[in-house]
Amino acid sequence: MERFTFVQKIFLYLGIAVFLTFMLLPFFEMFMASLRPLQHLFRSPYQFWSDDMSFQAYSDIWETVPLLGRYIFNSVFLASVTTFLCMMFVIPAAYSFARFKFKGKTISLGLFLGVNMFAGAVLLIPLYKLLRSMGLLNTYAAMFVPGAAFLVPTGIWLLKAYLEKIPIELEESAWIDGASRMYILRRVVLPLAVPGLIVVGVASFIGAYAQQFLFAITFNQKREYMPLPAGIFEFVGYQSVIWNQLMAASIVGIIPVLIIFLFLQKYLVKGLTKGAVKG
Amino acid sequence: MATVSLKSINKWFDSSQVLYDISIDIEDKEFVVFVGPSGCGKTTLLRIVAGLEDVSSGEVEIDGIDVSSAHPIERGISMVFQSYALYPHLSVFENIAFPLRVAKTPKAKLQEMVMRAADILRLTDRLEHKPGQLSGGQRQRVAIGRSIVRQPKVFLFDEPLSNLDAALRGEMRVELSKLHKSLNATMIYVTHDQVEAMTMADRIMVLSEGKLEQFGTPMDLYHHPKTKFVAGFIGHPKMNFLTASCLSIDSDGVKVELPAIGKQLLPVEPIKVNQGEELEVGVRPEDLMLSETGKGLPLKVDVLERLGGSTLVYGSLDKYPNFCAMLQGDANVREGELVNLDVKPASFHVFDSNGNAMKRREVPEILK
Ligand SMILES: Nc1ncnc2c1ncn2[C@@H]1O[C@H](COP(=O)(O)OP(=O)(O)OP(=O)(O)O)[C@@H](O)[C@H]1O
Ligand SMILES: [Mg+2]
Repeated sequence: MERFTFVQKIFLYLGIAVFLTFMLLPFFEMFMASLRPLQHLFRSPYQFWSDDMSFQAYSDIWETVPLLGRYIFNSVFLASVTTFLCMMFVIPAAYSFARFKFKGKTISLGLFLGVNMFAGAVLLIPLYKLLRSMGLLNTYAAMFVPGAAFLVPTGIWLLKAYLEKIPIELEESAWIDGASRMYILRRVVLPLAVPGLIVVGVASFIGAYAQQFLFAITFNQKREYMPLPAGIFEFVGYQSVIWNQLMAASIVGIIPVLIIFLFLQKYLVKGLTKGAVKG
Repeated sequence: MATVSLKSINKWFDSSQVLYDISIDIEDKEFVVFVGPSGCGKTTLLRIVAGLEDVSSGEVEIDGIDVSSAHPIERGISMVFQSYALYPHLSVFENIAFPLRVAKTPKAKLQEMVMRAADILRLTDRLEHKPGQLSGGQRQRVAIGRSIVRQPKVFLFDEPLSNLDAALRGEMRVELSKLHKSLNATMIYVTHDQVEAMTMADRIMVLSEGKLEQFGTPMDLYHHPKTKFVAGFIGHPKMNFLTASCLSIDSDGVKVELPAIGKQLLPVEPIKVNQGEELEVGVRPEDLMLSETGKGLPLKVDVLERLGGSTLVYGSLDKYPNFCAMLQGDANVREGELVNLDVKPASFHVFDSNGNAMKRREVPEILK
């Protein structure tokens, strides 16, 4: 049986179309802007399509900002390290929250949620002092350490919810067979939690990517450590902004992330717990 | 060798008590079934034996050693869960091999032991499958395979058959009994199905609301239920109960006033009751016969269930609306009819107002 009637389907697709238009139109315009010659952008009346469009900006960017490649690498590198570091803390913490009873469990969970309400910006000055006293300013660590710290609470909440859905009997059964906690975590829980881990990983990665900018411009002054969102400011000159190249550089910067996501997507939908318990 | 003794086990969850002073001794190689209605604490008791749950007070002894706070692996037990608890990401082979991998068994030995278990359970051609690709019965066997491969001293089963269809359940019942004989191990089996309990057990422990009602052989429970609860729980269809006031007590038994038949002497060993006290009198449906004299218990037939070999007759008797009789063969009765039923006085079970049984004097000999 069909789940939706024809009319319902039309509304459904209409809704999706409206949503997608709002989401994707800026990206489309970004792409179009990157194709136009600079003077074209300020032409009046505004022309959506013209004959002198080209991919010229995509080759010019590397000359205007010689470190662009490095910035892109830094961005992906920082986001990856942040995600990795974040997961190292999230996995054991989420597992403990999902499975053990201990004093202060609810309070600490609530606290984590509370921490999330403080945007990183509020804490910039104390963080700056902290990082300075640890001698981390102007290093990669200056960006990924606070980055990971801010992502851990959300990660714990997300993964905890996922781990709680894994039938406890699986762990008890392994426990009876003599497996240690770590063995159970490694051989039973984590393999089953792969979809959840990917979700949390992806969320952390996106989070890390988005917050880079703030940490980069406050805690780092070394050009060669700058991530793309900060580095891209070099397209903003004293006199003018090279809009078309700026757009082109942004798109190029997104591509590696996009590829990773396309690759991971199939794991996100795959259910892995089939056949674990009856029913 | 593996004996299991439970000594005065009490269990509280927070402020509610779910097990009350349970004490039993299970002998080596015995097949013991814990049976009782849902929520009576069977799983909790089994988990206490397994070491998954702590006792609030009392002791669990295996082979005479107190293991109340020992890790499951030190107890030498293995357990099959109410849900099968198979690892969905591992193949059947790896599922069965899991306990051996944990114990770091050498590869060749592991291979051999898994193959042997698979052979016993007829899973040899399924070893590469994932649990998700198996039928319920096969999953069940994988779960059993995982528990036998480690060669534990005591096997624990928590309602392993409850999710199978009736035919498969019957089949698995026989297989488990065979397995018990071939493995020569002590087994504790939890179920709420009294048929499973009766057919497989050496001895049955009946639990009700966390209290031990009776522990004995199936036939003991059937012929000599110690309480009204056990009498009603064991046997299918259920025992019928009538209230009857006690007229007199003497050395031959108790004399009661039964509906429709009147005064009747029931041959039981009386426990202290007062004259005129209300007693519960029970009679099993299979102990009722069609009367040939036109006297006996008058039953107004409402529903007939003809099973071929026997006929179940449901109807109202006096003020008891759900009275059941099991008559031999394709009995000559019709719905709406009034039939008279005969019972041998010795077939009656008598309980005092607290539900405690009086021992019956004349019962069929129990075969050992
Ligand atoms: N972890 C727990 N916390 C609190 N109460 C519990 C817990 N586990 C079980 N109980 C309670 O203990 C009682 C016995 O539960 P148990 O699971 O042993 O019943 P059972 O006899 O196995 O029932 P079923 O046949 O339905 O499986 C129930 O009233 C249940 O609510
Ligand atoms: Mg249970």
